[in-house]
Amino acid sequence: MSKLISAALAVGLLAGTATAYADETVRFWYHFDNADNPMSELVAKFEKANPGIKIEAENIPWNSYYDNLYTSIVAGNAPDAAMVKMFAQPRLVEMGALEPIGDRIDAWDGKADLQDNLLDLTKASDGNSYYLPIQYVVLYLYYRQDMLEELGLEVPKTCDEFRDVAMKLTRDTDGDGQPDVYGFGFRGGKGGHDHWGSFVLSRNVDFSAGSLTSDAGVAGTQWVVDLFEKDKVFPPSAPNDGFKEVTGAFKAGKTAMTIHHIGSSNGMVEALGDAVSATPVPECGGGHWTSFGDESTAVFSSAENKDAAWKWISFLSTAGNNMEFNKATGQLPVTKTDSEGWTLHEKRFVDATVQSLPFANLLPNVPETSDFVNTVWPVNMQRALTGEITAEQMNTEIDKLYNP
Amino acid sequence: MLTMNEPADRLPGRAALARKVLPYALLSPAVLVTLAIVFFPMIQAAWMSLHDYILWKPKDFTFVGLKNFAAALQDEVFWISLRHTIIWIAVTIPAQLLLGLATALLLNQQFPWRPLARALIIIPWALPSVVIALMWVWIYDANYGILNEFMLRLGLIKASVPWLADPDTALYAIILTLTWQGFPFFAVMILAGLQSIPKSYYEAASLDGAGPMRQFWHITLPGISGVLVTAVLLRTIWVANSIDVIYVMTGGGPGYATYTLPLYAFIKARTNLDFGYGSSLAVLFTLMLLGLVIVYLRRAGRSVN
Repeated sequence: MSKLISAALAVGLLAGTATAYADETVRFWYHFDNADNPMSELVAKFEKANPGIKIEAENIPWNSYYDNLYTSIVAGNAPDAAMVKMFAQPRLVEMGALEPIGDRIDAWDGKADLQDNLLDLTKASDGNSYYLPIQYVVLYLYYRQDMLEELGLEVPKTCDEFRDVAMKLTRDTDGDGQPDVYGFGFRGGKGGHDHWGSFVLSRNVDFSAGSLTSDAGVAGTQWVVDLFEKDKVFPPSAPNDGFKEVTGAFKAGKTAMTIHHIGSSNGMVEALGDAVSATPVPECGGGHWTSFGDESTAVFSSAENKDAAWKWISFLSTAGNNMEFNKATGQLPVTKTDSEGWTLHEKRFVDATVQSLPFANLLPNVPETSDFVNTVWPVNMQRALTGEITAEQMNTEIDKLYNP
Repeated sequence: MLTMNEPADRLPGRAALARKVLPYALLSPAVLVTLAIVFFPMIQAAWMSLHDYILWKPKDFTFVGLKNFAAALQDEVFWISLRHTIIWIAVTIPAQLLLGLATALLLNQQFPWRPLARALIIIPWALPSVVIALMWVWIYDANYGILNEFMLRLGLIKASVPWLADPDTALYAIILTLTWQGFPFFAVMILAGLQSIPKSYYEAASLDGAGPMRQFWHITLPGISGVLVTAVLLRTIWVANSIDVIYVMTGGGPGYATYTLPLYAFIKARTNLDFGYGSSLAVLFTLMLLGLVIVYLRRAGRSVN
């Protein structure tokens, strides 16, 4: 296997030296789930406005986006600019891969039009600005309005209500003795830490030493495990389920609630119409926590044409262009101009997003968070759900990662 | 002194030299390429395994000796992965072999459309692993999967089984997938071996009164033993190293339920970016596999001879 990795690195190196780029070419990496690619139109518009700069935009599959990004940096073949998330920032800074763009942002006309706070949220722990926000989402609870009405249930506001509603929504509709609808579609695979976070980190628990292993922290994880093992309100496949499975099951009516963001709302409405609605995630153990889904762009320190790269990424975060960009990704624009009069999502989903903003959080801005997201959380959550380890052991593993 | 008048004397010497050098000269491009893309990365991996090397800390490349290896032997996940790797090889290879053998014996019979059947049997082997993995993920799906539907209707199970999400069944579910993918290789190899056995042996045996079982035991099996030894060796190496199907079907989950050593090394290096530790896992596994291959070749080689 390591042979393969080294070979991949070697190929990366070769590719880096073999392709000599013209002075004014910007290589840009991005990831879109949506196959309808709007990039070519934005690229054409940019190139028309900036003759002499050529944009080579490449759509990299999400599942291996950061694997590819890190290896390309080490192999000396990094893109000039790319879409990046906050959890990757500490590592990229540590690698010396990012170009500080604070001065450029200050001198930029579009700065005043950016939504408040976004630049503060994306500032690095060393005080520099490396990221320019391009879109955002906040996670909220999707629920089936029609199923709640059918059973005479209220939209859950707290974890206790949530559990009660989820148990009532889990039912056998065709009389074969097997549940056909499950109360909640839990994401046990990669990316599901957002679900877990809403149920656990809300309890005044964070990643500092001893916090997750406190009674409140363990109780939170235990509560999630019990929903699966005892109350059986998650589908049996929950431990392995990822985005595709969770949204697929919800659209197909196999689950009555799930947590995701506005990016999937148009697909949900297409499948379910008015039957689907949204509300902030429930309040658990006295607190409220949901995940802020950030996306920015950055210029890489290895870029030869940093001015051209900056022109391109600031173009994408400028009113109008940012709207086009978010039309494609289905997320929310970062500019004030585009946010007013935003009609691309149904109002109830925008409302749920706005209502969730006050308690939306990012994961800790430290290098360990990448491992938490990619391996430590999924592996331990899956083991806890399948009864291989206890909730306390799971929280201990996470505590060990952040506080060795 | 070499002059224009002298080549008659010199040529034989030079021709001899040229004859000696030419094969090496012709071989050298292939050797150089092999060195560059096979041996260099291998040595690099071995070298990295002796260092603390985390990709996002590129400046930190400290020699730590055998620390990574010692850490691996203390690592719970290493032993879990090793146990799975042993089950992975020990179940998959015999299952593929038996299925392949049965298929080859069937395909060696006379029946209409035989060439078509021989062509069709190769399909699982010819499909890309990722396609096979995605296909079987749907077959095993707990909500829509055809396997659950089938077994529910036949009354074999009472409730849908989440085959890939249950740690007790996930590894075996993937083994079944891999068996399905790999048995045509055995079938085709064994079929070729079967066809090299002269018909006259069977005629002579049946004249002497040997039944089908005795013919199989004393003629067929010895006739294909050479092919079997080679095929088993190749498949063992391939199966041991194959991670694509596992990676696509479960990514190693749930928990560590479908981690094998090569997959663990891959995840450590590629996802956690810990190339030092990942390489040491890969080196350890290579040594183990090498040991297995040597033992196998000694024993199998002896019994074939």
